[in-house]
Amino acid sequence: MAIVIEPYRQEHEPAVQEFNRRLQQSSGDPDLVFSQRSVPRWLPPANNNPVWNEFFVAVEGSSVRGAYGLKQEMVLVRRKGMHKVACYHHPLSEGIIDRKYASVGALLARDALARQPFLYALGMGGSDRPIAKMLKVLGFSLTPIPFYFRVVHPYRFLLEMQALRQTRWRALAMSMAAVTGTGWLAIKSAQEASKLRGRTLDFVAEEIPEFSEWADEIWNKANGIVSMAAVRDAKTLRLLYRADVTSIKRLRVSRKGSAIGWAIIGQRRKDPKFGRMRVGSVVDCWAAPENAAAVVQAAAQALEKDGVDLIVSNQSHQVWCRAFESGGFLKGPSTFVFAASKKLTELLQPLEETRLSLHITRADGDGLPANF
Amino acid sequence: MASDLFGVPADRITATSSPETLENWDSVQHLNLVLALEEKFGMQLSPEEIEQMKSIGDTAKLIESKLQATPR
Repeated sequence: MAIVIEPYRQEHEPAVQEFNRRLQQSSGDPDLVFSQRSVPRWLPPANNNPVWNEFFVAVEGSSVRGAYGLKQEMVLVRRKGMHKVACYHHPLSEGIIDRKYASVGALLARDALARQPFLYALGMGGSDRPIAKMLKVLGFSLTPIPFYFRVVHPYRFLLEMQALRQTRWRALAMSMAAVTGTGWLAIKSAQEASKLRGRTLDFVAEEIPEFSEWADEIWNKANGIVSMAAVRDAKTLRLLYRADVTSIKRLRVSRKGSAIGWAIIGQRRKDPKFGRMRVGSVVDCWAAPENAAAVVQAAAQALEKDGVDLIVSNQSHQVWCRAFESGGFLKGPSTFVFAASKKLTELLQPLEETRLSLHITRADGDGLPANF
Repeated sequence: MASDLFGVPADRITATSSPETLENWDSVQHLNLVLALEEKFGMQLSPEEIEQMKSIGDTAKLIESKLQATPR
């Protein structure tokens, strides 16, 4: 029976539940699950909304064999103005567990491209993972987005960071470093050396319940420095970071009574690779270049106050990368990849230059509900 | 083509070879096969046709029928 890809409707929900059950049962991976609701919880389609999510399912008779999401949004591209693009996210195929359905992954990706040629994907766990490899075959350009981290509590970091403890000897060395204090000294020294390039900044940070029109001024003031950024005006920010979402905090950063930037911070959900650590994230941020460092400091201070052990962030724009480095953050290996379709890559040419001023953070793509 | 894509000697590939019998025939290689066929034969494969490519034999039949249907 032929497989047809169509918009996910309420009548497909039982078949999606069954699809999820098969994936989870055969793979043992609890993350292999597609939305059980045909209407997205995050960014549901609504009249006049500038950003929204929609889902599609690959149907074979009465069964669902695959699914994916598209986050439709507007981006600002330098010298080319506003463009509609879409983020291809959560592609799931029965081919993961049954090789008979190896074609479904290709069908999903091609269907998404047919619906929106200006397509991107983000994250994917690295460029060596199947989704990234498939997009590369389809001509997507792949750009890793730098990863930054700052250790707040070195003792817990050394004992809990599973990536550093993968062999018995490494685990023992990390435990020794934690207990003797040498690890603390090494981490703090590296972070302070990085921080010395920065300076103490004058700002006031306050948590706000929702974004309002002051954010428009900051969006307009700072968007000239980006080669591409998803729109972050007040209306869009209110949709992305809805007032009723309590897993994140919205920080307004000001100086002498005037807003100079904002940041979204949150604690990441538990992840085995971080052990029992409390991991804070600077999810998103925006400011003019001269105020980026103040926003990073404000975000880091707020997370430290919340008691996190480690602060992480992904940042692509060179201004923000420098601001994180001057805020005592260290650069680590990144598995967070930006994949741009051929059409989107053409729009961003010359990519070797423009990739340094893309504004991509953990909040772009589908990252927000998945991680917080 | 299939031998190169799936990394197995040509004499091990038969009409019944499929994702279930060839270790390297995964979703990425399936897409590579689609693109390689489109390029070699100068044709576009529809989603329905991609889905019909369940084995080497099915794929060969599909390509033959498309080539025969193409006006020369």
